[in-house]
Amino acid sequence: MLKLILQRFGAACFTLAFIAIVVFGAVELMPGNACTAYLGRDAKGAKLESCEKRLGLDRPAFERFGEWAGRLAQGDLGESVRRGKPITELVGWRLRNTIVLAVTALLFGIPIAIGLGVLAALRRDRPVDILLSTTAIFAMTIPEFVSATLLILVFSIGLGWAAGVVTVSYKAPVLDLLANSILPAVTLTLVLTAHILRMVRSSVIDVLESEYVLMAHLKGVPFGRIVWRHVLPNSLLPAISVIGLTMAWLLGGVVVVESVYNYPGLGRMAVDAVADRDIPLIQAIALLICGLYILSNLATDVLALMLNPRLRTYRT
Amino acid sequence: MNFARRKLNIGRMAGALALLTAAWSQPALADKVLRMAHDLSMGGSESLDPLSPVRFWEVNDLLYSRLIRLTEAGEMEPELALSWEPNADATEWTIRLRDGVKFHDGSAVDAEDVKFSLERINDPALESPVTSVLGMIQSVEVIDPLTARVVLSTKHAGLPILLTDYRVRIIPSGSGDTIASSGIGSGPFKLDEYDPEGTTRLVANPDYWEGAPKLDSIEYVAIPDADARIQALLGGQLDFSRIAPEQEPLFAGRSDFVLSEFPAGGWFGLVFRTDTEPFTDPRVRKAVRVAVNREEMAKLMTGEGHATVTCDNPVKANDPYRADIVCPQDIDLARKLLAEAGYPDGISFDLHTSNLETGMVRFAEVYQQQVAPAGIKVNIVMAPSDGYWDDVWMKETVVVTSWDERPADQILNEAYRSGSSWNESYFSNPEFDALLDKARASLDFAEARQAMVDAQVMLFEAGGTLIPYQQNIQFAYKKSLDGIRPVIEDQMRWHLVDKTEE
Repeated sequence: MLKLILQRFGAACFTLAFIAIVVFGAVELMPGNACTAYLGRDAKGAKLESCEKRLGLDRPAFERFGEWAGRLAQGDLGESVRRGKPITELVGWRLRNTIVLAVTALLFGIPIAIGLGVLAALRRDRPVDILLSTTAIFAMTIPEFVSATLLILVFSIGLGWAAGVVTVSYKAPVLDLLANSILPAVTLTLVLTAHILRMVRSSVIDVLESEYVLMAHLKGVPFGRIVWRHVLPNSLLPAISVIGLTMAWLLGGVVVVESVYNYPGLGRMAVDAVADRDIPLIQAIALLICGLYILSNLATDVLALMLNPRLRTYRT
Repeated sequence: MNFARRKLNIGRMAGALALLTAAWSQPALADKVLRMAHDLSMGGSESLDPLSPVRFWEVNDLLYSRLIRLTEAGEMEPELALSWEPNADATEWTIRLRDGVKFHDGSAVDAEDVKFSLERINDPALESPVTSVLGMIQSVEVIDPLTARVVLSTKHAGLPILLTDYRVRIIPSGSGDTIASSGIGSGPFKLDEYDPEGTTRLVANPDYWEGAPKLDSIEYVAIPDADARIQALLGGQLDFSRIAPEQEPLFAGRSDFVLSEFPAGGWFGLVFRTDTEPFTDPRVRKAVRVAVNREEMAKLMTGEGHATVTCDNPVKANDPYRADIVCPQDIDLARKLLAEAGYPDGISFDLHTSNLETGMVRFAEVYQQQVAPAGIKVNIVMAPSDGYWDDVWMKETVVVTSWDERPADQILNEAYRSGSSWNESYFSNPEFDALLDKARASLDFAEARQAMVDAQVMLFEAGGTLIPYQQNIQFAYKKSLDGIRPVIEDQMRWHLVDKTEE
């Protein structure tokens, strides 16, 4: 199994290196460079020269890629053009905030999703199941900017129960941040609960119909014990891969939710960086999000390997 | 831990609890805090240095004072300067300062500070955009502690109006290296916490020369997304915000909000390069402009009543130097002008636009529809928004442009004087330049105004830039706010703004 894990890890590293080349190459292929993009109407004369010198753009692309990749390997993401600060510092806090939001949503979402998913499966095709499944489909299909706006409309503007947008600093202590972030956490929890719930429901139903569960029934094992000992462990395996995908989505792609709620995370920073045409920052964030995505996929793979006896004994 | 110490801790806790209860039970004594948002357009590098290219203008308006400011009617009035007198040929201006004004650190505002603040404008290391406005300031002499003489490199009768620029603020002499984060000025509010990406907090300056502000503090929250700003306003997290015309309906039925609106000077325009065929002929240039129905265009772009129709004069509606021109749509005249110029069957050209700013593409499409009956065939070419100012603007023959509000002298010189670096239409007319020089050299307002008006009329007759309308600025704010005037933020008297009980 160790060999398999190492293989996966190697593939992940290769993917990341490939992405680094693509991210760097895409910017090189574009007309202009980081300085013309950033300076816009002022991109001429002394200003352009001093900017290009500051970023080292006067040197050949090959040389710059080597240097960029070398610094990347040491964890140095370079310096933002627009913000004039090290990117590691800018992105560090945002990464923390994105993780805080993701973890909060997962902590609430996973138990709710598993509980309700099992409930729906056990009450299959009865009113409870129909209600849960339909709600889940709604929660999955309504785009986040709609659900986010609705939540703000009802709970912030209408009832005044929760803050509509986050107004605390990106450096605020976690508790202050969370107090301001009830609605974004709820929005994300809704979506991820719906996804996981549906997966859990269908896999619990599959397992309930399997032959060994039938066998257990025939042997007279109590129903509660069947569900707890036999159905649950076997049906959660597919749920883990969904949770992994959800986590990857939470860490990298909640751009819309973060913008709507003004949440100071990676997604909003990406939008701001694009708006400012701050290319070094965009490159760094793109790479970071890809890295997180690969990492959570790797973690899911390894977890699934460890939980699945068939995969565990798989030999290459 | 010994017993006595534990007792002390309990005592402290009880004290803190009592304080907390007191704070809860007396909301009437709560601070009057005004909360506003800024759009983080400098990406977190917002600088408290008023001259910086990445100035934090919303906050700088509150921290610093100018020499001269504008009234609601657009006239100059004394701020730190009590009077300003030119010499006979307007190459030197003597400024007398108000006595007894103090910076936030307690030091007095004197002529040394004026010298420092004005001479800094042309320090090349700062790369300040204000250089293009006040580059003619050669030096400043200190006559006595309350008198400074500004020496110019050319005649300029319009210096005082240029000194009302929102970036020309007086800071303590020698504070150039620290001002970006210290924020020490002589304005109505003092810096308490500087956090451009979170919440920047300012507290009232009780020693403000015009009287202590009525508010206790002002907070500026960073909210880049325009919709999120409006939601924060509607949800009660903000007290005041600018809004766009399409956001107005959100406030329908909200009696707890006030909407206000006033004419401003920002515009979209179409640039026809006057050095390129067929636009080298002034008749063609006029034809492609008079064929536009400006009233309808303003309505289509901004809704009913949110813009001032403009006849290609870039000077804003309430500027004392604006020319009054009438320019109804005239398809027949356009056809006639084109025929005279040798195009009896009309002309066709590529119009370059981009999604750079909301509305830039719609602007081109409305134009295309409106001028078609005059035999003008427009082919819209979409350019990428990246590098638009670099690769398209000032390069292609016909492009959509966008400008912010500027004083008359500044915009006319910056965008139309022969050889100026942002002369986007490559307009070159010695008579026009002579009119601008005359306006600058003339100390008589009526005479200077006449020269500026003549210059604007010349632009309407022969210029290469279409400016169909200028968009209003709209505010929405809580009814509990008092003292918000319909003027651009930097002309607001923030020390008079108050918050009453809701």
